[in-house]
Amino acid sequence: MVTMKKKKDRDAEIPSAGMSDIVFLLLLFFLVSTTIDVDTGIGMTLPEYIPIEEQVFVPLSKERLAALNINENGDVLLDGNVIAIPQVRETLIPRIESKIELPKNKKLVVSIKTARKTNYNLYIQTLDQIKAAYAEVRTAYSQNHFNRKLYELNDEQNKELRAKIPIIISIAEPERIK
Amino acid sequence: MTFEKKRSNSKQEIPTASMPDIIFMLLLFFMVATTLREVDVYVKFKLPEAVAIEKIENKRLISYIWVGQSGRIQLNDNIVQIEDIQDIMYKKRVELPNVIVSLRVDKGSDMGIINDIQQALRKADARRINYSAMLKL
Repeated sequence: MVTMKKKKDRDAEIPSAGMSDIVFLLLLFFLVSTTIDVDTGIGMTLPEYIPIEEQVFVPLSKERLAALNINENGDVLLDGNVIAIPQVRETLIPRIESKIELPKNKKLVVSIKTARKTNYNLYIQTLDQIKAAYAEVRTAYSQNHFNRKLYELNDEQNKELRAKIPIIISIAEPERIK
Repeated sequence: MTFEKKRSNSKQEIPTASMPDIIFMLLLFFMVATTLREVDVYVKFKLPEAVAIEKIENKRLISYIWVGQSGRIQLNDNIVQIEDIQDIMYKKRVELPNVIVSLRVDKGSDMGIINDIQQALRKADARRINYSAMLKL
């Protein structure tokens, strides 16, 4: 009698021990290639483009306007007087604060004008000062009225804050090149 | 009389079967958080520094404009001329209505070039901009 050799029972499983290794490899790839750095900068909204012929001249009272002019020599002039850049913030703060309770059409307008040869860094430094002044006034306002930090405000309070202290920065129309 | 130590019969192993699942989860997170589209920058620039800066919330909305030390302008992937910006940005703006233009300008640049770019952006109606700046420490 012949004894038939029985076939061995084979394991029909795919080995999954190495799976985690493969996934680790993928994970490492994405870890290395990810850039989580956030873009930071000064946000602005440019005014709408209106052709020169259709532009309407809106008179602004001297009281409302803070006119900053940065000329090509690097001098910063606020309403015609030379001012050092770090002083812009301190000078603007009382002017913004004095207009918190005034109606919408009486708020402060900050206008920046530059010459073609003005250095870009100076422009950013000045803009930074203006933004910092507004941020300071807003922080103080939210601390006094809501007793909260600026980033803890809810939507309604934020809306009120924006209505009370709007940031109006006007970029002056560049002069025509002769 | 024999003393027998009380021992639990349970296995002494930490189950590792679900480890790949956990790692998959991590993997998925990084896959979603990654923006793979890295642009080669052809211009040399050094950003200005500022204090009152904010983050841009949504990276996918951003179009970049670089202005280098030599005054060359790069828009997203290509070096462009100032006259081309308006057309390109207008197309972009039609595709993506709330596009944010991030201006990464070298700090030694002149305002003339910035004004020209801004005028082009205004004509293209892509008016949300961001002057890219590093945090001053």
